[in-house]
Amino acid sequence: MLKTLVKKQLMEIFRSYFYNAKTNKKRSTAGIIAYILLFAALMIGLIGGMFTGLSVSLCAPLTQAGMGWLYFALMSLLAIFLGAFGSVFNTYSGLYFAKDNDLLLSLPIPVRTLMASRLLTVYLMGLMYSAVVILPAVIVYWVTVSAAPMALLSGVLLTALISIFVLTLSCALGWVVAKVSRKLKHKSFITVIVSLAGLAIYYFFVFKAQTAIEQLVANAAVYGEKIKGAAHPLYVFGLTGTGDVTAMLLSAAVILALFALTWTLLSRSFLQITTASGASGKAVYREKAVKRRSIDGALFGKELARFTASPNYMLNSGLGILLLPISGILLLWKGGTVVSLLNEVFTSQSGCAEVLLCTGVCAIASMNDMATPSVSLEGKSLWLAQSLPVKPWQVLRAKLKVQLALTALPALVPLVCMTFILPVTAALPLVFAEALAYIAFSACLGLTLGVARANLTWTSELMPIKQSLAVTIALFGGWLYAIVFAGLYLWQGWKLGAAAYLAVAAAVTLAVTALLLRWLKTKGAQRFAML
Amino acid sequence: MLYIEHLTKTFGEKKAVDDLSLHIAPGEIYGFIGHNGAGKTTTLKSVVGIQQFDSGRITIGGHSIQDDPTACKKMLAYIPDNPDLYEFMTGIQYLNFIADIFGVEESARQERIRKYADLFELTTDLAQPVAAYSHGMKQKLAIISAWLHEPKLILMDEPFVGLDPKAAHILKGMMREVCDAGGAIFFSTHVLEVAEKLCDKVAIIKGGKLIRSGTMEEVKGDDSLEEVFLELEGESC
Repeated sequence: MLKTLVKKQLMEIFRSYFYNAKTNKKRSTAGIIAYILLFAALMIGLIGGMFTGLSVSLCAPLTQAGMGWLYFALMSLLAIFLGAFGSVFNTYSGLYFAKDNDLLLSLPIPVRTLMASRLLTVYLMGLMYSAVVILPAVIVYWVTVSAAPMALLSGVLLTALISIFVLTLSCALGWVVAKVSRKLKHKSFITVIVSLAGLAIYYFFVFKAQTAIEQLVANAAVYGEKIKGAAHPLYVFGLTGTGDVTAMLLSAAVILALFALTWTLLSRSFLQITTASGASGKAVYREKAVKRRSIDGALFGKELARFTASPNYMLNSGLGILLLPISGILLLWKGGTVVSLLNEVFTSQSGCAEVLLCTGVCAIASMNDMATPSVSLEGKSLWLAQSLPVKPWQVLRAKLKVQLALTALPALVPLVCMTFILPVTAALPLVFAEALAYIAFSACLGLTLGVARANLTWTSELMPIKQSLAVTIALFGGWLYAIVFAGLYLWQGWKLGAAAYLAVAAAVTLAVTALLLRWLKTKGAQRFAML
Repeated sequence: MLYIEHLTKTFGEKKAVDDLSLHIAPGEIYGFIGHNGAGKTTTLKSVVGIQQFDSGRITIGGHSIQDDPTACKKMLAYIPDNPDLYEFMTGIQYLNFIADIFGVEESARQERIRKYADLFELTTDLAQPVAAYSHGMKQKLAIISAWLHEPKLILMDEPFVGLDPKAAHILKGMMREVCDAGGAIFFSTHVLEVAEKLCDKVAIIKGGKLIRSGTMEEVKGDDSLEEVFLELEGESC
């Protein structure tokens, strides 16, 4: 039975890689390979590459100082942090709010079997996120220090233990969120606020990590002794990676015990939480005066309501709404120093501050991709949008407008802040032009991907929001744009001057946006009507 | 009001609807009956414009659903067999959304919402999210939203499924009111007794082909609709 459920879960997760969501037909072998390679390139190449670099810089100095355990302890912490962060949002909705929970609970399936199959999805997400950190660390250790059988075994064990610990953490946090949210009235916003607080802590650590790691390496012996004394479990866990048999056994025993405890906790409350209708009071309707909205206004309102009704949607597709104003405040606070630093580092590339700060705004703006999953999120209610007396393009335009409004307005904060820290030159208004052109491009690209790769048969909304190729391409595509935009300027573009470069970039971006818009209005609208 | 001429729709090798022609005049309640998979839903979806078809022509109030779908959709309301509504909205938000799309004036919409929500005993629940509604409540909400803009043509796919007996009775009365006011209703059902009592005309479809249509008297004569339906099903076999 578990095998059948696991197979169903895996089919759901990986279906888009093997089947065309629109035609429901199997992809060609080349198509499957291309999709898998693209995903692997993003995960291994981009994120894995980053942590390989970090591992290389840490492994040799620490192991030569006889502190291999500290190397593994550090990398394990990062892996756990990334893994738990990446999968915790999945646990809450994937475990307790999967659309097929009622169906499966009505079948003669033991609750624990159902839980186990659900947790597999959470485990795989955690494994994926933690492995991109810990695997490079382990491999670098094998290459740099030792590839003896015990080192190989300890590396594999460490990876496995981290993935189980990440699962335990995600489950425990998901359980807490589920318990608390049952009694809340404004669940969506409170979930978002709590999650954002988690994000703030995450970024705080990320920003501090580089300095902390540098200090740690410089004073490894001193800090090492302190950690041994104050955080002994961390020391033991670090030793696991070096092949210390006692540490390996102890870490395995503790982590498995923790997981068993969490499993017991979850299995006792799973049915209660999953089938609960909520303890919050029932709202009673009282007639109020209503104001008639235009068709476009109504469609815009509908899209906005869809976005604000789902914490998953807001968190995964709208982080830029918060980060853009924050970046503006940071610019006011530290902008002067940043500009001086950039001018010092890139002395020959004059005007680089304007271009690089604009790149930053574009990169943060690309974290908003609510238009991309919006088509798939229509799901089974798509008949409504299709049967109402509105043109398909009007529906698509509303989706586009929501992303534009929720990105362009917050983006104005850092852009306006730039006017206080950058010299008033011809480049300054063009920074605005380029950033806003990018925001338009990003929305159009996201919606194009969303229409082209619509999946209306999901069982958990996380699939279109987080686990679709369209969203991955939209997100990383935005970052790639930022890298290319900045890279080209630093390479040759600076010869044009910042103003001319920004003008050319904005013109090219707008031209591509116009093409995407044309496709959306014509073929995209047709495709949407026929979904 | 509604002309369906030589409608044909295939899914792969299977002809879901095969050269079907029907005319529904203002003032008529037209029942559409057939076994599961006979082609009823495909026909209804094609009329609404959410299902592309291979050949044929559908016109509503003189407008072609292929050439001018928006003009057609302005005149009609559709209730599918499964009311998958916007679950992220409350009942009242959903009704206001539909009213906005159809441009229903504030006073008219409030009056109609009050009237129909009271009829279906849904008023107090309108502040609840649609996600919290039962199947029957969603069906009632879908019916209210369909009646909100006073459509000239109402298409319904199994509208009585999920409704309690009182709500089903109310719906039948509302259907008759629409037709008395010059509107038309085209609906599919498996409940032959309801079709027999309620419909002015009826069409029987099997394997995508229209096997009989006309006024109730023309179709059933002195027999019951059930007898005629079962007999026709047997003949076709």
